[in-house]
Order: sequence, then C-alpha cells, then structure tokens
Amino acid sequence: MKLTRHDRIGLVSFTLPGLILFLLFFIIPVGYVLVVSLFKWDGMTEAVFVGFDNYASIWKTSVFRRSLTNNLVWALVATCVQVPLAVLMALILNERPRGWKLFRTVYYFPQVISGVALAMLWSAVYNSEYGLLNGILKLLGRADLAKNWLGTLQTAFPAVLIYWVFYIGYYMVIVMSDLSGISKDYYEAADIDGAGKIRQAFAISLPLARNGIMTCVTLAAVMSLRQFEQVYLLTNGGPANRTSTMVLYLYKQIQNMRYGLANAASVMLIIVGIIVIVGIRQLFKLWHAAYE
Amino acid sequence: MTTIKQTFRQASGHKRFTPANLFKWLLIVFFAFYTLFPLLWLIVSSFKTNTELFGNPFALPEVWQFVNYQNAFRVSGMLMMMGNSIFIALSATLLNVVLASMLAYCLSRFTFKGNGAIFTMFSAGILVPLNALMVPYFITITSIGLYNTRAGLILLYAATGIPMSTVIIRGLMEGISREIEEAAYIDGCGFYGRFTRIVFPLSRNGIMTAATFQFITCWNEFVFANLLTSSQNIRTIQLGIRYFTNQFSTDFVSMYAAIVISIVPSILLYMIFQNQIITGLSSGAVKG
Amino acid sequence: MKKLLSLILAAILLFSLSASAFAQSSAEFNPKEEITLNFPSIWVGTDSKAPVFAEMVAAFNEAYKGKVNIVIEEQTDYQAYRDKIRTMITTGNLPDLFSVDVFKLNDLVASGKLMDFAPYLTDSEWAKTFSDGSLQEATVENQLVAIPFESAGFGLYYNTELLEKAGYTEFPKTYDEMFVMAEKLKEQDIVAFPLMTGENAWTSMLWYSNILLAVGGPEVYNRGLDDPAFVTAAEVLKKMFDYTSSDAVGAGAAVVNGHFLNFEAAVYTNGPWFLPRFAKEGVNDLGNKVKFALPPEYTGGMGTFGGMAGTVQAYLCAAKQDNPEKEQAIVEFFKFITQPEWLYKLAATAGSMFSIKLEANPDDIQVKQDLASAMAAAPYLVKHFNDQMPTAVANGFPAALDELVLGEVDAQGFVQLLKDNLD
Repeated sequence: MKLTRHDRIGLVSFTLPGLILFLLFFIIPVGYVLVVSLFKWDGMTEAVFVGFDNYASIWKTSVFRRSLTNNLVWALVATCVQVPLAVLMALILNERPRGWKLFRTVYYFPQVISGVALAMLWSAVYNSEYGLLNGILKLLGRADLAKNWLGTLQTAFPAVLIYWVFYIGYYMVIVMSDLSGISKDYYEAADIDGAGKIRQAFAISLPLARNGIMTCVTLAAVMSLRQFEQVYLLTNGGPANRTSTMVLYLYKQIQNMRYGLANAASVMLIIVGIIVIVGIRQLFKLWHAAYE
Repeated sequence: MTTIKQTFRQASGHKRFTPANLFKWLLIVFFAFYTLFPLLWLIVSSFKTNTELFGNPFALPEVWQFVNYQNAFRVSGMLMMMGNSIFIALSATLLNVVLASMLAYCLSRFTFKGNGAIFTMFSAGILVPLNALMVPYFITITSIGLYNTRAGLILLYAATGIPMSTVIIRGLMEGISREIEEAAYIDGCGFYGRFTRIVFPLSRNGIMTAATFQFITCWNEFVFANLLTSSQNIRTIQLGIRYFTNQFSTDFVSMYAAIVISIVPSILLYMIFQNQIITGLSSGAVKG
Repeated sequence: MKKLLSLILAAILLFSLSASAFAQSSAEFNPKEEITLNFPSIWVGTDSKAPVFAEMVAAFNEAYKGKVNIVIEEQTDYQAYRDKIRTMITTGNLPDLFSVDVFKLNDLVASGKLMDFAPYLTDSEWAKTFSDGSLQEATVENQLVAIPFESAGFGLYYNTELLEKAGYTEFPKTYDEMFVMAEKLKEQDIVAFPLMTGENAWTSMLWYSNILLAVGGPEVYNRGLDDPAFVTAAEVLKKMFDYTSSDAVGAGAAVVNGHFLNFEAAVYTNGPWFLPRFAKEGVNDLGNKVKFALPPEYTGGMGTFGGMAGTVQAYLCAAKQDNPEKEQAIVEFFKFITQPEWLYKLAATAGSMFSIKLEANPDDIQVKQDLASAMAAAPYLVKHFNDQMPTAVANGFPAALDELVLGEVDAQGFVQLLKDNLD
C-alpha cells in the first residue's frame, strides 16, 4: 500500500506519544550514560574528562571480560536451548491436551514468584550441607559427585544456567498466542492429506508462528545480555566473579562510586546488544524470505 | 498435584498409547513439576521457623507456624500497598499496551523511512540496564514533579516497558494477513479505522501477552518503587514484602508468607489476561 | 494501630520521664514556622531498634509540636537504602537527615553537601556525653560531619557444649592453640568456624580484621596494604577455611548464622546486635550455652591480647542547610535522640551499643555484659577492615577471598587482588 497524506498524519500521531516517552526515558538517559562514560566521576566531586580511558580500563579487567563471555554463553543457551524447548511445549499445549490451560498457568509461576524466593530455593538446592541435589546423588549412590555447586569454580556458572533454562513459561506464552491465531482449516486440510503431527508442526505451525518465534529469540538474547537479578540474588557474581554478568559488574562499579566505569560498561552492553539484535534479524530475514 | 495425576490418567486412558504420547506426557508432567516446585516450596517454607528453614530447607515444618501469616498481615498498610500495586500496575499496563500497540501498528503495517531503525532502537531499548539509570530517572521524575506520586511510577513503568511490549505486539501483528486490511482500505476504511476495527482486535493475542508481561513486571518491580517514593501510603506491595528484611537480618519465613499473599492477585490477573487469548479462529484469512 | 499505640506509649513516657528537661530545651527553640525534616530511616519495620526508635521520634515530635516535625521514610531493604542515599547525594537531593555506615565519611565530605556539627558540639556539654575518640572518628578536615551513633565491638562467641565435646572448657588464647582445638573439633565432625565468602563476606571480614590486629598491631592500617601483616593474616584466615562448613564459599549471612544457631558450628563472630538472637533463635537452649571470648593472640605478632576490632557502626548525618533555623532544628533532634536515658532503653531492647557513654545495664544478657567490659578494658579498639579501606577495596574483599580459599591465588596474590581495586 502506498502511503497517503492521511496515512502520514496517522503515522505521526500514532508514533509520537510512544517516541516522546522513548526519548524521555531511553534516548536522553542513554545520552547521559554516554557522556558520563567519558568522565572519571564518583558522584560526589567534580567529574574529570578522561576520553575513552574508562573503556580501555574495563576492557583490561578480567572480571568484565568474563562477564561479557558469561552473557554471550547465556544468550546462546537461551536462544538455542530455552526457546526451542518453549516452542516444543507450546506446540504440545496447542494440541489442547487435558488441562492445558492449567499447565499454561503453572509453567508461568516461576516468573510470578519474586526473585528473592526463587534464589533462596535454588541456593538451598545446590547447597553442599543440606542441599537437595546432593541428597538425590546420595540416593543414587553417587555421593562422590556431591559438591558445593555454587561455590565451585567449574560448576557455579553451569548451575546458575541450568536451573533457569527450564523456566520456559515466558517464551511459551508468546509462541502459544501466535500459534492460537492459526486457522483450524490448515490442520483439517493436513489431516485429510494424512500428514502426521510432526509434519504438520514443521509445515504449518512453525512457519506461521515464525514472527512469534523471532520475537522470542530476540527477547531471549536481549534479556540474557542484561541478566542481573538472578545472578545478583543467587551468587552475587561469586565464586571469584565466575558467575558475574555485565550488569552485575556495572552495578558493583556504581556501588564503588565509579560512575564512569559503570556507564562505560552500559555503553559496551548496548553496543554488543545491537550487534546481536541485528544479527538475529538478518537470520530471520532468510527464513522469512523462504515464505514470501 | 491430584489434578495433574487425574489429567494424566484420563488422558492416557482414553487415548491410544503410543511412545509419542508417553513422551509428550512425560514432558508435560516434568515441566509442571519443575515449575510448581518453587511455589510449593515457598508455601511450605512460609509455615516454618527461620531456624528450621536453614537447618533443613526441604523438610516439612515440625509445627505449622501460622503466626508467619499473622505477621505478614500485621505489616501496617499491607492492604493499602496491595491496592496501590493493583492501581499502579493496571494503569501502567493499560497506558503501556495502548501506546505500544499504536507503535506496533505503524511498524508492522507500513513501510516508511526509519521503520527498521526505530525497531532496532526499540529492541536495543530492552537491553538498556535500568540499574545504570537510577540517577537519570531520579532526575527526570523529580524535575517533572512526580517524585513520591503514583503517577510517577505509572509513567516510569509504562515508558520503560514500551520497547518490550512493542517488540512483542509487533511480532504477533506481523503475522496477521494483509488481505482483510486491504479489503477494508478499498472500502474506504482509513488509518484509524483499520487500527480500531481490524488490526487491534485481531492482534488481541499479542496485546494480551504483552499486557501479561507488563503487569507482572510492574507488580514485581522494587528498585524504582523504593527510589522514587517516600510516603508509606503510596508505596507498593514489593516494599511491604521487604518489611521483613533489615540491616542485620531477615525474617525469611514471614517474608515468604507475605510473598505468598502478594502473588495471589498477580496469578489471578495472569489467568484473566491469558483467558482473553482466543484460540482456533476459523476465519481462514487471519494468518498467512 | 501500631503507630497509634507507640504514640500513646510515647506520650505516657514523656510524662514519666523528666518531662521538664524536654520542655526546657524545646522552649529555647522557637522557629518562625514549623520545620519539617525528612528522615529516610532503616530503624523501622522488623529492625530491633524500630519500636523504641519510633517512640523516640514520636516523643520528639510531641515535645516540639508546632516547631519541628520529623517525617520518617521507612527503608527496610538495606541495599536499596544505600542505592537511594547514593542516588540522592549524586543528584543533589540529599534528604535532611540520614544515617551512614558503609559510605566513607571522606567520600561524603568531598561532596561538600554535609552539615558541619562542629559549631554546635565543640566544647559543649553534649560533646562530653560521647565516648572517647568517637567524635574524632567523625571529624574530617576539621569538620564534624556526622554524629557518631551506634557502635560495635567484634568479639568471639563459642558454643560451650560443642567445645566440651572436643575437651575444651575455655577458649584458646593463641591462634596456634585455636587451630589445635579446631582439629579436635573436626575429629568430632564439628565445624569449628562457620565462614562465608558470599554477599559482603561479613563474618570472614571480621575474622580477618581481628587476625590483622593480632599480627600487625593497632597501627597496621596506617602502614598500608604493603605491610606483610596483610599477607600473614590472609594465611591464617585461609587455614580457618580448612575447618569450616563445606558450603562456606558463596555462603551468605543467613547460612552462616544458620549453622551457628542450629548447633552445627562452634565459634562465631558478629556485632552486639546479633547477641539476643542466640537465645531467641538458637536450638537446644543455645542462649545459655554461648560464651564470649577475646580474639586470640598471634605468636610473634605485634598485637596486644585484649585488643579487638571495634567501630562506630552508624553515624547520623544531615544535609547542609541554608536556613540556620533548620540547622538548629536538626541539632535539637540529634541531641534529643542521643540522650543517654533513651539510648539506655534502646540498648536494652535492641541489643545494640552506642557511641554515647551509658551506664552498664545489669539486666543485659551475659555475653553482652562480657563484651561491654572487654571493650572497656581493651588496650585498643580499631575499626574493622571494611571501614579502613576505600570502598572499592572493601567491596572487592569477597571475590579476592574466593580466589584465596579456592586456591587460585596464595596469600600474596590475595593482597594483590585487594590492591588491584585501588585506582
């Protein structure tokens, strides 16, 4: 459709309120972040301009580099394991098995419960003295594997990732709402053709829900990059910063009253994020093109 | 738990037993257990003593401590805070999804210069770490005179949620067939008419999904609720939950009781929102 | 309801206490119009100081009715409180009144936004009520930027029943002997020291502070992080982790407290505010089985037996005011809440100690009385490690400790990691 004058006025009036809020709560604050990232500032005394020194100095710290790596691994696991699991469960529940509405609600519970309680639960599960995981290992006769899961260099980060990867409710709900818009006609036609469930999933459901899936992949990547609360509450980045993330790093710099470093880390996070988002969009354009 | 067992039995009872079916139900039950576990643990723990909680976190309480719930209800202004949370979260959600769906409509149904850039910008907006923005947000909210007001929180939540909601709604709007819209266009339906009569109702699923997330996020938000308010009578339930923490210790079990109380409304509203999602449309042209 | 009750209580109290004294001080101060002071306070909610503190504020508001009104903003989450105060200082929106502990007074002074109390305190009767040296600690660049309020000493507390199982009736006097005892406890499958590296590694930091003093003496911090005492103390601390619970790495305060309260670990350290919890929350009648002990001596160290870590735990601060009447109102309020009569009551109910000289309370639990007399007799009380170090070094302590305990670095490397946090 070509844009008419009427459309143009419509576009402006519809985008303006949102864009103004975006300007006020994102563009200007991020501009502020950008400016502060060029200064050495403790929030108390006069700021001193240092150019890109803050960037150079956080890049040199191993804690920041490890945080960045952790975030990237996190994003990879989220997009390649968590989202596919969510899609699988969305496909299954979309078949309306008995109690599917109940399950749709239950799967979302972990997101509803406050993060504080969730963190307490999992630190208790992974605890070495009274933890549930070690208890199960003991029952299985593998007490030799028992350890302080969140306090061991090699297991801490995987432990943080693994418990969370099965909390799929968030993405499942998005995919389900996209799947639910697909007409029954398609499936009925496919049934008549004798196509099995799996073929139907690949031929009908997945392609038609591709926008929902792309939304999930984008959100999963982006939210992994700004991961904070889970780690902060569960390990506070420990042991020895092995579970740190970029946002946790910058929060600690704020606590250290090093606003310049903190804001430089924010800028780096945003840059990495934009690269990832654009990458994902390109990938999905290929998929999209296949159906246009 | 019985409901799950029953459904399992019924489901496997009247359907043909196949390995695929078994696998499906194994998955369903695994996830149900995995996601119910935190809630069950939370509820059981909210009846223990703190010493029991740290002595043996997975045992049942020796004596069920109903006093924890008495403590939770004794927090001054608990109902007030609950009311504030409902008001703030609902208002912010409403404002947020209206603005976001308007934006998403423009971004998904029209090609214009800067469309892609705006979308990338909004996606990037999701990853802006809000912790880094305590100082700028404090300045913004105080300078427009909204410090210590409900309106301040509503505005902040609605605004900070816009990128996320726009991305979700736009994603689901894209899937809607353009044919109906084109037909309406030919019938003389304008920019606004196509939005209110066609695209908005048809993207109801996406909008409800975004609203769900937005509501839960507002409900659970703590940092800015504490930073931007000072009077007890406008504060939210998350601050009520924190009543049981203090400088040197936390009364976890009473806090858990307060959490259990506080998640009841959010679970109810979640279910109401999700039930708005219509399924199995039979009008063939919606998607494609 | 609760507020009403405390208000009534406060009113009754006001009559029963020396009401004339309050009336007098109030009569001298007559501002042109009522002054409102905002006070985001952490002494609210379930804090042990909350009930009496609320009484104090209500009593003040009553005594200064029409003149000064203190408005309390409840701040229960401590981390969020720090975030808020920090943000308010940075944006120039300092609250009228606030309390400070982790923030370094030096940092705050640099902002130039703090009220100077020196004109109101120097050589006054009020100044004489403070314990020796506490006002000096609040003096930065000749400005008295804070009123010392809560204080603390960090002794050791041991479970007598668990120690008896290892054949001990008294706590060892040197670190060498302490490790011999720890070995015997280990043979009985008892955790000697519940330690932590999670959160701010609080109790481990307190141990480190006491070991540092034993090794390097009271002047150790003045000699800086290059002093070998920091390395030696780290070695001792690392050895203690051989006798701790398996979940120590990553453990938070709740886990550590849980081990001691649940009779699973023998020797504990913390501030005086924790002491009432031995009886309230401990199993097996723990309250009657805990004894106080002085930190041991380090053989060949520069410390003196009896010296320990002790500190001003919290200061009262105020924002610099343009209006002299407002400054006067702040002084009136701080004077009011630092009256020994009130603090005596606050100490009795909350278990805390204060930087104002108070009479000994014969009704205090034994461990607290022992701590108080040990502090009075101590050859020196030196601020703990976190208080001594720049913010970034203090915040970097837990991660450095992780590396040390997990064997990634040695004691030398541990100190180097601490130093890396300096600018």
